[in-house]
Amino acid sequence: MKTSTFARFVAPSVLLMLSLLAMPLAVTFYLSVRNCTFDMETVTVQQSSPFGTTETTTQRARVDADGKPIQNCRFVGTAYFKSVLGLTGESGQASGAAQEPPAQTAGSDTAASGTSTNAAKAASQNSQEFIGALRFTLLYTLVTTPLVIIFGFFIALGVHHSAQRLKPIFITLSLLPFIITPIVGALAIKWLFRDGGLVPHVLSQFGLSIYWMAEAWSARLLVILYGVWQSTPFAFIVFYAGLQSVPQDSLEAATIDGATRWQKLIYITLPHLMPLVLFVALIKIMDSYRVFEPVVVLTQGAFTTSVQYLTYHILSVENNPYKASASAVLTTLGIGVLIIPMLYKTWKEQRSGR
Amino acid sequence: MKSLTIRRSLLAAAALAVVLPMTAQARCDKLVNAKAGEINIIGATFPALQHIAKEMETCTQGGVKVAFKMSSNSRTETEQAFAVAGASPFDAAVISNGLFPALNGKGQLQPMTDLVEKYKAKYKIEENMLVRVNGQVMAIAFMQNSLNLFYRKDLFDKHGIKVPTTYTEMLAAAKVIKEKEPSIEFPIAQTFAKGWDSGKEFVDLYVGMGGKLFKAGSAQPDFNNDVGVRTLDLMKTMTQYMTPNYLASNSDDVTNQFQQGKAAMGVFWASRGSRMDDPAVSKVVGKIEFAAAPAMTVGGKPASHMWWDGVVMPKNMKGDRDTVFQVLMEALDEDTTKKGNDLATWVRSAYKPTRFATGVAANAKAGTPIWPTEPYAGLAQGELGKVVADALAGTTSNKAALDTAAAAYVRVATEQGYIK
Repeated sequence: MKTSTFARFVAPSVLLMLSLLAMPLAVTFYLSVRNCTFDMETVTVQQSSPFGTTETTTQRARVDADGKPIQNCRFVGTAYFKSVLGLTGESGQASGAAQEPPAQTAGSDTAASGTSTNAAKAASQNSQEFIGALRFTLLYTLVTTPLVIIFGFFIALGVHHSAQRLKPIFITLSLLPFIITPIVGALAIKWLFRDGGLVPHVLSQFGLSIYWMAEAWSARLLVILYGVWQSTPFAFIVFYAGLQSVPQDSLEAATIDGATRWQKLIYITLPHLMPLVLFVALIKIMDSYRVFEPVVVLTQGAFTTSVQYLTYHILSVENNPYKASASAVLTTLGIGVLIIPMLYKTWKEQRSGR
Repeated sequence: MKSLTIRRSLLAAAALAVVLPMTAQARCDKLVNAKAGEINIIGATFPALQHIAKEMETCTQGGVKVAFKMSSNSRTETEQAFAVAGASPFDAAVISNGLFPALNGKGQLQPMTDLVEKYKAKYKIEENMLVRVNGQVMAIAFMQNSLNLFYRKDLFDKHGIKVPTTYTEMLAAAKVIKEKEPSIEFPIAQTFAKGWDSGKEFVDLYVGMGGKLFKAGSAQPDFNNDVGVRTLDLMKTMTQYMTPNYLASNSDDVTNQFQQGKAAMGVFWASRGSRMDDPAVSKVVGKIEFAAAPAMTVGGKPASHMWWDGVVMPKNMKGDRDTVFQVLMEALDEDTTKKGNDLATWVRSAYKPTRFATGVAANAKAGTPIWPTEPYAGLAQGELGKVVADALAGTTSNKAALDTAAAAYVRVATEQGYIK
């Protein structure tokens, strides 16, 4: 094929990939190494509202000749990455000025020493916070992924062997948790488990009183249960599709050879589905690492902060898109690290031409 | 400004979907020099705003078309839209005084003084509605809100409990209810959920105790002190009378606890009051009464804050400011207040107070302060909201939790240029 022909064939795909995949990533990365602050000045203002008039000392952004607020934007390197990870402040405070993202060059105030001990404390708390979030995210990922694969597989097997007429019903029912919007699903689950909900009510009939959002173990269990409930249908539908293509002649030959159902499952069906298991695991890990909805809906983050919860906090509470971008880039890197083994395996298979 | 709860937004969205197709009477037939085009407005999701949004969207005269976006995340969306270097995707926003200081402090709001003068008579704009900063009108408020005491009058009467005016009295009342009223397992219901809610509760109680969030005249934090520790102690004592699930109890859960007859008292959003009397979802119709939030000391101001919701226009607006202003005023006229009288505590004098507004009025009368007006107050609240849960759960000491919040606040306030 001529190079120009080849180029014309791949150009649309390359363009789409650049604009939909590469561009957003590049922009996020660009934002993550920058910071913009307003040029704030301390002012005393008189403010009236429906509740009367007050005079307060507050801060206001300086404005330029056109009345537009003045913003100082600059390159801050990896400062925000360190900030999210909680690495800043513990050491190198002397050279700290360059690391502190927005440090203004003008005038160090008298509270500078107090600020730097505060910064050290904030950093160490920040790192605890990040480690806590990472720990739960990994726990969630490592517990839900195998469970989703196992349950998904057995449900697929069950539906596959059920009566032809009932299959559509079973498939629809099994897919429901996956079809429902995650936030709606998480809300429904929360309503089942909160005070007066169905689950505590039923358990109380057996003398068990559990407040699901009151303790670390139960709050974490709840989020994990949600994760399994929500993702199992995905594994199910992939495995169910896979089961349709299990070679019938091999199964029949095995039957003639006297293989048991179990042996057929282990030696024929499972090996046939292995690539799909790998695929489901890959998607599920990427998905789990971004766990967010159940955390924010079920427990409001109590005992269960996740990496994405932190990004959400930085973006919506701190309203800092630059730091949130750094957090997002770190999430992407985290996913990358987690799926390296599987990518390596795929790459090896590709090379060996399997 | 209420908590960013997702459930409420979903309910509101569902309600909106039902409400929107209904047509209201024609509006905006008297717009002056209206520029044709689409006007985009953003706001949160609560009943009064659904009512206003409906009014706005009927404004279709002279080629004007209004698109109102109700978002559970309107706070963040508004902040980001008003901050962009180009034109803001929204020509106006409905915000609360929780967000106002941050937007105004960053110089992102459009003064409306001239427009108010021009249209004051036409739309009967009342002085009370105007939010002025150094005389300039920066926002126009239409409703008030605050957290006030909700209590079960039937149970209080039954056990001879008088309406608590201090937190000490409230804890005593809770003790009586817990001992003598088997139908109530957890007497107190308040929004102690991790995040925005518990940050807000801390600020309410801490300021009620006489604490200051910031050092005088600066953005440096001043809440990691003895008063802060005592505030957390009080919150811990209160949790003994709450559902053990308090760390996940947001406004929706507390509403539910009251509606299901599981709670006997609590300081809670006035805007939720009318839902207590909805027979479709409430078992306590007519049984809940409202009073001022309790104070920390006898005769002190209620340990709560006053809130308003109002409209603002960004400096970087795309639409014609005169037209946008007229549309906003059309939707906030007397007629809107009258038609939606029971939905909120409206600012307009045409409003006829309902029993759900008694708590807000009592709070206002008792001198409840307005929610902190510093542009960095939201950052402090956010950081407090993260650690109050840890202190309540006992995983860290009160002082350590507050030190952590103060340090984290210094970090984020420095990153955003408030602390240099």
